[in-house]
Amino acid sequence: MAELALQDVRKSFGAVDVIKGVDLEIKDGEFTVFVGPSGCGKSTLLRMIAGLEEVTSGDIMIDAEVVTDEEPFDREIAMVFQSYALYPHMTVAENMAFALRLQGMSKPERRKVVEQAAEVLKITPLLDRRPAQLSGGQRQRVAIGRAIVREPKVFLFDEPLSNLDAELRVQMRIEIARLHGELKSTMIYVTHDQTEAMTMADRIVVLRDGLVEQVGAPTDLYDDPDNMFVAGFIGSPKMNFLSVAATGPRQVSLGGLSLDLPQLKNDLNVGTEYALGVRPEHLFGGEGPGLTMQIEVVEQLGQTAYVHGRLGAEAQPVVVELRDQRPKTGQTIEITFDLSRATLFDAQEQRVR
Amino acid sequence: MSKPAKRDRRILWAASVPMMLLALSCVYPIYFAINNALKDRKGYILDRFGLVTDPSIENFVTAWSRARFDEYFFNSVTVTAGAVLALLLVSSLAGFALAVLRFPARKLIFGVILASLMIPVQVVLVPFYQTIVALELLNTRIGLILSYTAFFLPFSTYLMTAFYAALPRELVDAARVDGAKFLQVWWYVMLPMGKPALLTLGILNTLYCWNDVLISLLVLQDERTLMVGIAALRGEYTTNVPLLSAAIVLGAAPIVLLYVIFQRKIVAGIATGAVKG
Ligand SMILES: Nc1ncnc2c1ncn2[C@@H]1O[C@H](COP(=O)(O)OP(=O)(O)OP(=O)(O)O)[C@@H](O)[C@H]1O
Ligand SMILES: [Mg+2]
Repeated sequence: MAELALQDVRKSFGAVDVIKGVDLEIKDGEFTVFVGPSGCGKSTLLRMIAGLEEVTSGDIMIDAEVVTDEEPFDREIAMVFQSYALYPHMTVAENMAFALRLQGMSKPERRKVVEQAAEVLKITPLLDRRPAQLSGGQRQRVAIGRAIVREPKVFLFDEPLSNLDAELRVQMRIEIARLHGELKSTMIYVTHDQTEAMTMADRIVVLRDGLVEQVGAPTDLYDDPDNMFVAGFIGSPKMNFLSVAATGPRQVSLGGLSLDLPQLKNDLNVGTEYALGVRPEHLFGGEGPGLTMQIEVVEQLGQTAYVHGRLGAEAQPVVVELRDQRPKTGQTIEITFDLSRATLFDAQEQRVR
Repeated sequence: MSKPAKRDRRILWAASVPMMLLALSCVYPIYFAINNALKDRKGYILDRFGLVTDPSIENFVTAWSRARFDEYFFNSVTVTAGAVLALLLVSSLAGFALAVLRFPARKLIFGVILASLMIPVQVVLVPFYQTIVALELLNTRIGLILSYTAFFLPFSTYLMTAFYAALPRELVDAARVDGAKFLQVWWYVMLPMGKPALLTLGILNTLYCWNDVLISLLVLQDERTLMVGIAALRGEYTTNVPLLSAAIVLGAAPIVLLYVIFQRKIVAGIATGAVKG
């Protein structure tokens, strides 16, 4: 049970700034997910929290106690690595009990704790095997088992599922969520998979280039992104961005069509270009104003279909979600804008509210 | 079907004839030594190359007791064992540090170690000898142990560093998260993980130390190691070849035994060196 806080945390490797000032508060028992594109510094930030990477400046606090200069073990965190990092020369049971052994716990006691954890993770029959004799999913369970026997304050996961196949990934995702429900510990989970982020997180931290772009509940980020990066990163397929020109304080025009945005609190600069963000599911079957589009590509997924085409005089590419339909390439459909759900961004890619 | 088979067989022959000759050239000295070790001097002079007629172990007994080979043997075993242990200990620690830890001038230190690999022993013999004398290590077994350790350490350290650098870094991270201190990471993770490389080094260094004459001759002048003792059996004008043969067999026996025990690992070890080197 622990809260965690980062205060203006920075990290440079030589002259390269990787983490450029991150402030963050994570509540007790929260499941927080760090997402962002490859190389944005997710792992580095997690390793700094773990104590595996030195902090260049700033402070890290666990339970209101500064731990910036403490060893990983003294922070009472446990970490699950992408490559599992199981000790190959030890059996599963020895792997899980290693931390306890270093603490000086007696052998029978260790065995008891390990067996309990193995029970939870359904790996009891594997306890006497070596890591090389396990499948990827089983190794992942052992790695998680090694973390839970320690009863840490904070669990850290660095892309734990990225080496698993799609089916196993979905299964493990659910199990980690279940585990969080049972243990109610604070967990931080790094992924670049936004589906994992959306489905598992209590709160998502979106990172880009060593900076936090936005923090919020999955639905908040989805419905109410602060900038174009977050809007584009969260959601699959991506949000459509259409370049529009302001024709009034709360009105923009797209391909000769006037679109009213009464939800805006601030006036637009008439004549300025903006980007209108509309998700694929808000482009069809609505009541709003419409344009016609010729279908170029169809991705039929069963109940839903994603159709790609070009919109307006400038032929801006869009993706539209259709439900319970069998669209064909070359067909023409009517695109309607659900403007109550649309978002607007300025030239600096910041949200206009 | 039959044509390619025929050609295959011809290729096989073309390869195996030179190979057999090569093998013969390796086996013959062993045969020569064992054969002559079992003759007496007269028997040897009368028939150098023929098979021994009335074999006796007289020469072995003489070498062992009268020519002080029991002492030499003991010296060799102590010094080799001591040096190999020291080499394994230091190189695995140094390899761990160089491969895993981040400290200033790490690259430079590794570079110096690599460079010292290129320096042949002969070039540094004089300063080396002066150092040994200055440290009052002349004629001590510990002096010879330290000398071997110093001379063979660069290669051992280089091999351990290369080996440890190829291991996933996350293993060390995991051990640190699990609460292992620096030396515990080494003891519980790096040492067991390094077993294949350490075994290779153990065998190679045993060979080097056991077979060395030059360094031993310099450091251990009053006493002798086995190889120096064998070398000393060669007189300026005459050599008691049967006695020398017996000594050679005695000197080679432990290494041959070691080879038989670790045969497969040695081949694998040479391959390790080949890939990393
Ligand atoms: N030890 C290091 N020395 C120098 N640069 C480093 C080091 N470790 C990481 N970096 C750099 O820091 C940046 C962030 O790396 P990090 O591993 O945190 O990214 P990430 O968000 O986890 O990416 P991914 O999703 O690919 O795992 C990268 O540009 C990387 O090159
Ligand atoms: Mg990463």
